[in-house]
Amino acid sequence: MKKATLLLLCGALAFCACRKDPVPEPPSKDADLTGQKVDVSGFPESARKLFVLNEGGMGANNATLDFLRFSDGNYVTGAFKKMNPGMGAGLGDVGNDVAVQGDDLWIVVNNSGLVEVVSAKDETEIAAIAVPTPRNVAFDDQYAYVTSWAGAYATGSYDENGYYTITDSKNPKGQVYRIDLKTKKVAGSVEVGYQPEGIACHAGRLYVANSGGISSQLPPDYAYDNTLSIIDTKSFKVTETLPVQVNLKNVYADGQGNIYVTTLGNFWDVHSGLYLIRPGQGNAVSKVADYVSVSTLLGDTVYCIGTETEFDWSATSHVYQSWSVQGGNKKNWTLNVSAKVLYGLYALDSETFFVSDAGNYFDPGTVSCYYKGARRWSVDAGVCPGHFALY
Amino acid sequence: MLKRAVIALAAALSAPWSLQAQEADTLAAASVWSVQVYPVVKPAESVYLPGAKAAPAQVADVLRRFTGVQVKDYGGVGGLKTVNVRSLGSEHVGIFLDGVQVDNAQNMQVDLGRFSTDGLAMVSLYNGQKTKRLQTAKEYASGAAVHLDSERPLLFDQDGGRARLRGGSFGTFQPSLQWDRQWGPVILRVSAEGLTSNGRYKYPCFDTTLVRENGDIKSLRLESGLFGQFRHGDWRVRVYGYGSERGFPGPVIRRASGFPFSAERQADRNFFIQGGWNQDWTSRYATSLKFKFADDYIHYNTHPEKNPMALPYDLHYRQRSGYLSLAQSLVLADPWSVDLSVDLQRNALDSDAGQSVTPRRNVLTAALATRLAWEDFRMAAHCVYQGAWDRFLTPQAGGWTRENKFRDAWMPSFSLYYSPFRWLEVDAFAKRSYRLPSFNDLYYSLMGNSSLVPESAFQTGIDIRLEHASGPWSFEGRISPYRNRIDDKIVAIPTSSQFRWTMLNIGKVDVAGVDLKADARFWRKGWSVDVTFRYCFQQALDHSDPDSRTFGNQIPYIPLHSGGVDLCAGWEDWSFTWETVFTGARWSRTANTPDYYIAPWTVSDISLFRKMTMPALKNRALLPELNAGVTVRNLFNHRYQVVQGYPMPGCNLMFTVEYSW
Repeated sequence: MKKATLLLLCGALAFCACRKDPVPEPPSKDADLTGQKVDVSGFPESARKLFVLNEGGMGANNATLDFLRFSDGNYVTGAFKKMNPGMGAGLGDVGNDVAVQGDDLWIVVNNSGLVEVVSAKDETEIAAIAVPTPRNVAFDDQYAYVTSWAGAYATGSYDENGYYTITDSKNPKGQVYRIDLKTKKVAGSVEVGYQPEGIACHAGRLYVANSGGISSQLPPDYAYDNTLSIIDTKSFKVTETLPVQVNLKNVYADGQGNIYVTTLGNFWDVHSGLYLIRPGQGNAVSKVADYVSVSTLLGDTVYCIGTETEFDWSATSHVYQSWSVQGGNKKNWTLNVSAKVLYGLYALDSETFFVSDAGNYFDPGTVSCYYKGARRWSVDAGVCPGHFALY
Repeated sequence: MLKRAVIALAAALSAPWSLQAQEADTLAAASVWSVQVYPVVKPAESVYLPGAKAAPAQVADVLRRFTGVQVKDYGGVGGLKTVNVRSLGSEHVGIFLDGVQVDNAQNMQVDLGRFSTDGLAMVSLYNGQKTKRLQTAKEYASGAAVHLDSERPLLFDQDGGRARLRGGSFGTFQPSLQWDRQWGPVILRVSAEGLTSNGRYKYPCFDTTLVRENGDIKSLRLESGLFGQFRHGDWRVRVYGYGSERGFPGPVIRRASGFPFSAERQADRNFFIQGGWNQDWTSRYATSLKFKFADDYIHYNTHPEKNPMALPYDLHYRQRSGYLSLAQSLVLADPWSVDLSVDLQRNALDSDAGQSVTPRRNVLTAALATRLAWEDFRMAAHCVYQGAWDRFLTPQAGGWTRENKFRDAWMPSFSLYYSPFRWLEVDAFAKRSYRLPSFNDLYYSLMGNSSLVPESAFQTGIDIRLEHASGPWSFEGRISPYRNRIDDKIVAIPTSSQFRWTMLNIGKVDVAGVDLKADARFWRKGWSVDVTFRYCFQQALDHSDPDSRTFGNQIPYIPLHSGGVDLCAGWEDWSFTWETVFTGARWSRTANTPDYYIAPWTVSDISLFRKMTMPALKNRALLPELNAGVTVRNLFNHRYQVVQGYPMPGCNLMFTVEYSW
């Protein structure tokens, strides 16, 4: 009953938000960009675009930003370069995360060492913030929080011009950088575990997934990290380091007080999986299910697609199994995807899903839309399309 | 003495860059059997280096001018340089030093930038099958082959030597010293070469111009060879030591200001001892014994303390290999001979990269070859068997277990030669070869797949050679159509989990092409002019996955059109060379779309050298010589990239001064 009230309230708020804006928006600067036309009938009118970040290949400097415009169904590729023609270098090398915050789109460009902030309206650059090996981003009202791998291999500090200087070169742990949403400048960092990946913000706490993906390849221990770092946003200090399972990847806060963490496993005897953390019960950890290759959060539900044959290195095709989790309970959900390499998943609503296929990782991949379980269309994206954000 | 004079004359007559391979097998030249004398297939290209007055310092620069060869160059003095031949990957191209393969079990790639032309007599390229007698089994087994034959010192006095200094752009300074001494039938050669370069050059970086950083190199090579000759045989031993320390400047990408592109450094230490003994036991039966022991060490460090963007790798690799080869050749009847070669090799790799897989590989290669050779008609058939036994550790629940894996392959080949007229020669060959998966493919980089099978290449080709000489003029032409098919190509792809890559035998490539070469020479007393045109068409199509949208596209980095023009002119003691290399449009991905287009490039180099006779030294029959020259590379300062993200240097200069006595 309480939940229903809350949903109703949310709906009402959304409705108000829409109604509050009676004058039609002036056409955006990117309104002339066109691409492959796809069927967008039935897509929610509250959203304008779905952004797709293509990671590109490491060292190839070919991360690209695509978007699907809901008003006319154009799938526009390479939007960042088209809207910022003066920047010859484009978006950069290896896009790793994308998220909408207000009217800004935050793009984490891993191997360029940049968090690129562009206008979500027209993709023009607002700021480029230097962060060493940034991975993922989360927000609260005041700050953006960016996980970083290498910042701690050589911990440094920024001067007033934003220039980074190394101060400590021996510490192999990762960091979470805090960036002021208004000034777009780094405002401190905090040390977390080894090679932090996903991050989520809920109720004054940051939940940071430590992977140890690099530590696992390095002597002397060749070991993955298995912890979730919990940071208090007020003091900006780690309050707890919670063991979960090896090689943590994504973190979701479902808004109902549950935290979900996906893990990648160790690729030979520990499978990938999804774990539930209940902050209300003293951060009790429980396993939900095995096998997660891609996952996404919609409202309070996490959708997952996993591969049972994940240890079979010589398999050329994969059998995927899909399922969802709500309130900590595994539910039936079926999406029969056909993808060479399933690389990203996004839920627009409970019946419309976007699935990206990285193909051979080398050539451009595709983004497909599934509606009521059936594939509606596919479009050509950039190299390794993997991350989505709705505006 | 007469022989020396003949060779010296041959060297003198040859215009730079153009002396044909001395066709006859010099060892067998004394015997009467035509089958011992004539090779069945000529090398596609070959260069006699002592004859080239402006020979490049690096073997990679020699190969750049060979038709059908693509040199993958990451730029700079210390940058990696590997070769593809007719779209066969560098793993299929064997590099042989005096008949012994220079191999690298770790990644099957040999960095040709490290081979100096110092002390080499001949660099030759074989597309099909080299078919001389007394080859090692591995010479029969590689898809295409580059042969580096070291120079046997020719002494007119009891000792002789050469001091050379090269230097120029990028703070390059490359001194070398060589000294030879003869005691009766035994000759000793000792040589040393050092190199330092700061590797700095300007390049356009998107909207600005930057200087390439962290591309410096220091290296030292020390080498000693002993050559001996007796009535029906010869022997040689070479001891080689090389050490280098270099930086890798990294790909040019968008990078936050304040973070460098790369702080990666690599230190290498290579040591080997190799030797051979050739013996004609009777006029029909001969043997050749070769051996090599190599110990290679690499230390690679990304220096995260200098580059906050670096992944923190500090890795050490040590590879050791032992190699023994016995080749036998028996003449059954005058034009008919049979050869049997057996090679044994062991490779061991120890490393702290990944977990300690510690792979060991024993390889047996055996080749049975038969040849028929008249002067105008020759044919050869070969059958090679290669078996490789790998032992490695795999992680299992509760510890490590030792595993064995065996792979083997049969590689047949057939070659023909026919010369109906003096001016026309035709070679043809068909060959299947395999390359073993490397240790990296199998066990390392978090992406090993120990169930890989060898990658296969099936090649067919025809060489039509035309020759004509009249008066001071001579012409040569070559038309070489070919087809290659690569199956079970080893390709890295991600598994169901995108974070763990694997290697699979899924690639297929069909290659069809033609190499054209025309060479015109003019020679009159004091004057020589030599013009060579080269053109290469190669269509290399990806046929891996019929469902893929890139099916049937040109594979990355292979230009459809490439070629070049060389002009060499000599006048008395002066020589001038102009070389232009052209590479057509390419794509960096199998998706042949404008986003992945790499623009064509044309680069021209010129050089001018002068040789001077110096005042006689005491008790010397020969006058010492001074040879000095200048080479301007990339004359028109063209900005280009061979490998995307790795800009090549603009116009640069290199000076050479050489004194030989």
